[in-house]
Amino acid sequence: MNERQVHRYVQRFLDAMDCTVLEKSPAHFKVKLSPAADRALTNRPYYWSFVDRTGADPETMSMLLVTDRTKFEAAEAAALAQQQAEQPPKPNPESPLASATDAALARSFGFVHGEVNTIRMPREEMHFGSRRLDQLFDASQAAGSYVYLFQEPERKHLLPYDSTPYTAWLGVNLKVEFACDRKREELYSFGVSLASGQCVERFHDRLLELKMTPKLPPNIHITKNGLSLGKALSTIEQTIERKLKNQDYSWAAQARERLDDELDRIRNYYEPLIASALEENKPAITEQYDKRQAEIRWQYEPRVTASAINCGIFHLAGID
Amino acid sequence: MLQPNQPTNLTRSEPAARSKLHPLVDWQFDRSWFDELQARLNRNGPWDDWQLYQLAVEAHQAKQVTSFDELRCLRCLPSLEPMPHQISTASKVLHEMGGRAILADEVGLGKTIEAGLVLKEYMVRGLVKRALILVPASLVLQWVRELNQKFGISAVAQKKEHTWQYDVVVASMDTAKREPHREKLLSQDYDMLIIDEAHKLKNKKTTNYQFVNQMSKKYCLLLTATPVQNDLDELYNLITLLKPGQLGGQSEFAANFVVDKRLPKNEDQLQEALSAVMIRNRRGDGGIHFTKRIVRNIPLSLSPEEKALYDGVTAFVKERVVETIADMASMLSLVTLQREVCSSRDAVFVTLVNLFKKTAEDSPLRAKIWGLVENIRAITSNTKAEKAMELIREIDDKVIIFTEYRATQEYLLNYFRANGLHAVPYRGGMNRGKKDWMMDLFRGRAQVLIATEAGGEGINLQFCHNMINFDLPWNPMRVEQRIGRVHRLGQQHDVRIYNLCTLGTIEEHIVSLLHEKINLFELVIGELDHILERFEKQELSIEQQIARLVAEAGDGTDLQRRISGLGDSISRIRSEVQSEPELEEEDAIGNLLDAVGQSISMEASP
Repeated sequence: MNERQVHRYVQRFLDAMDCTVLEKSPAHFKVKLSPAADRALTNRPYYWSFVDRTGADPETMSMLLVTDRTKFEAAEAAALAQQQAEQPPKPNPESPLASATDAALARSFGFVHGEVNTIRMPREEMHFGSRRLDQLFDASQAAGSYVYLFQEPERKHLLPYDSTPYTAWLGVNLKVEFACDRKREELYSFGVSLASGQCVERFHDRLLELKMTPKLPPNIHITKNGLSLGKALSTIEQTIERKLKNQDYSWAAQARERLDDELDRIRNYYEPLIASALEENKPAITEQYDKRQAEIRWQYEPRVTASAINCGIFHLAGID
Repeated sequence: MLQPNQPTNLTRSEPAARSKLHPLVDWQFDRSWFDELQARLNRNGPWDDWQLYQLAVEAHQAKQVTSFDELRCLRCLPSLEPMPHQISTASKVLHEMGGRAILADEVGLGKTIEAGLVLKEYMVRGLVKRALILVPASLVLQWVRELNQKFGISAVAQKKEHTWQYDVVVASMDTAKREPHREKLLSQDYDMLIIDEAHKLKNKKTTNYQFVNQMSKKYCLLLTATPVQNDLDELYNLITLLKPGQLGGQSEFAANFVVDKRLPKNEDQLQEALSAVMIRNRRGDGGIHFTKRIVRNIPLSLSPEEKALYDGVTAFVKERVVETIADMASMLSLVTLQREVCSSRDAVFVTLVNLFKKTAEDSPLRAKIWGLVENIRAITSNTKAEKAMELIREIDDKVIIFTEYRATQEYLLNYFRANGLHAVPYRGGMNRGKKDWMMDLFRGRAQVLIATEAGGEGINLQFCHNMINFDLPWNPMRVEQRIGRVHRLGQQHDVRIYNLCTLGTIEEHIVSLLHEKINLFELVIGELDHILERFEKQELSIEQQIARLVAEAGDGTDLQRRISGLGDSISRIRSEVQSEPELEEEDAIGNLLDAVGQSISMEASP
């Protein structure tokens, strides 16, 4: 993700979460979080449980989200320079009153810097890989896991009693992990028509071309389901297994080779050690040997796992 | 929702399909999402937002680990610029060593960065979630900071029992191996274990060694600049801890590779076995070229009032030394008075007042002390502060000022503020948050940072390349630490160091000792450790030796003679130390280790 993509992502996240953008530029947002976003992002469980228990009006936090640090800082510096150029020099900051306040504050709090003694809006760097952006990613996932949606009809119906047939689909986005001591991933998206049982790949892309709504649109009817959800699930499983079986598994063969090498190595070390050990020490060494074997399997054993990113039921126009 | 590795979370019937995709590969299809979907259908919701659903998919697309080999963490760390040898080390550990390695770079080449890269890469790939980092107690906070700031890894320092629950914990080895912690750690599986200063594991019989041996870990990094100190067995133990059997059994190792404790045989074979588990980068023949240090001593004459105070204090100290008869502690504190006068009247004032309070009411000393305090009243300006101000204006860039005394720091803050100069303080007693805030202010709008503390958890100030030593510590290590804040890897500019030095005082002698005799300011990084280690082996710490000289010296010339004697003995040690690397070239173990890594030469491009 480059800066522009991050910026767009943040914008859409803030919109989806109903946050109030106070100020923005192509390089930053100043935003007052919505309660939902505050709960997801600020890590204040005690505060929120207080609000929930007492029913107090929540005071959400504001944040400065910087999506392009270089541009943002250049703009800030330019603004500051302009401000200084425009403004006549400030009245003497060393006025007796001001310095007396500083001195008083300094006595209680240690040194106080006159100019920065204002409320701070925490600044967050939103580059790819930053913790805050990762948090946005996680929050999207947490609040975007299970959906139940309808395609919005494309045109107004002329006849009031005309009804468009819709088909229900089970859609799921899957992440497949190929792992040993190393790892890579593939993403899949499947949709299975609950009417006909046909299975479509890249289903998510197809959805992105449509307008979706959580509300049941008028003048539609949903085709009777021809197969159960369970059947749809096994269709998906069979399809992905078939696809994965045709992959190249030389990486796994290599990992298995490394695994066997490692097991050989520790066997050559531990077996003579156990054989020559005193009887009373044997259990301890054997236990250690078992532990080392388990570690090596954990580290190298090749495995493929599929898990869902998110899923839902999608009602799409047409009979498929 | 993504919990492929935690089958315990899936409680319903047939939570996941397990079979084989390939004779060698286990296949697991997680079905927990499907159960949840059905449950929501039955309950008629709640349903999530379509926009967020799309954003979640996009997040996974962005984070997708597309290949086995690339170093993905680099694109997550835009502000980190690792050096080429650090990147190549990290990828070797990841791609050729299966994540178990000894990182044995020479001091100062960035083992921490290498370990951080490896850890981050595994985390980005989702191969490591729980990691434990065991380090000496003094380095805990530094590690936490580096991991958080440089690598964006939420590491926490172990403080309380419950801290162990966090995913990435940094703890001291001494804490971890003690009950009740020990038992807790041994009952867990760590995706990654990192041990800094791992040469402390060289002895099989120690609790350190046994503890680490018993821990259950997937990936493991051992960091040490000195994998062998005395004996080849140390190397054997270290490697066996990481990969048992890599060098065979103990007796095999002895038979195949050892002639004598420090003399290996079958070097080629041994080296091959080593290079599979160990990486050692060395400074190239010319050493890493840091940017230059440009040192300027700024001699100052005290004003007549300041001089009067200095002389008064000196006389007082002399008198007292004769009376107390060489008790080291009180001698040090007396000499401190003299040093404080050289810094600021505020510094010496605080000490005098305390001394006054401590003195019995009927003691004749009270009057003398009070006389000195009266001397202070006569002083209206601070020659050094004025000079410092002038320098800062001249430099017209970020400057860090170091002083030994809190009172001087306060004075300077006020003095600079009164003159319209932005300065922020930094001292050891501040809590972490405040320290960070001060750093941010200094990085941002303040031109000057006034620090009383140089050591401790890294203040790294590569963005600043001017420093003023308002006064100098007597311990050369502390001077070096000060310089090390700005003069380190990553500094782009030559570093300018200004030493303010009042003539006709002990300060003059100290500056000449540190600068001319020890040549402190131009030593290669790391060299000073060796010199001092040897020097202080003899008896007292260098600080104490100087204090004794000062207290016992008759007059100015006598003192000068004695200090220069001290300087000569240090110079001798220095030339010894500097001639030694050539001796080590002959060392068989040294050769062996050197062959394991690459030598890095980095000419800094100005």
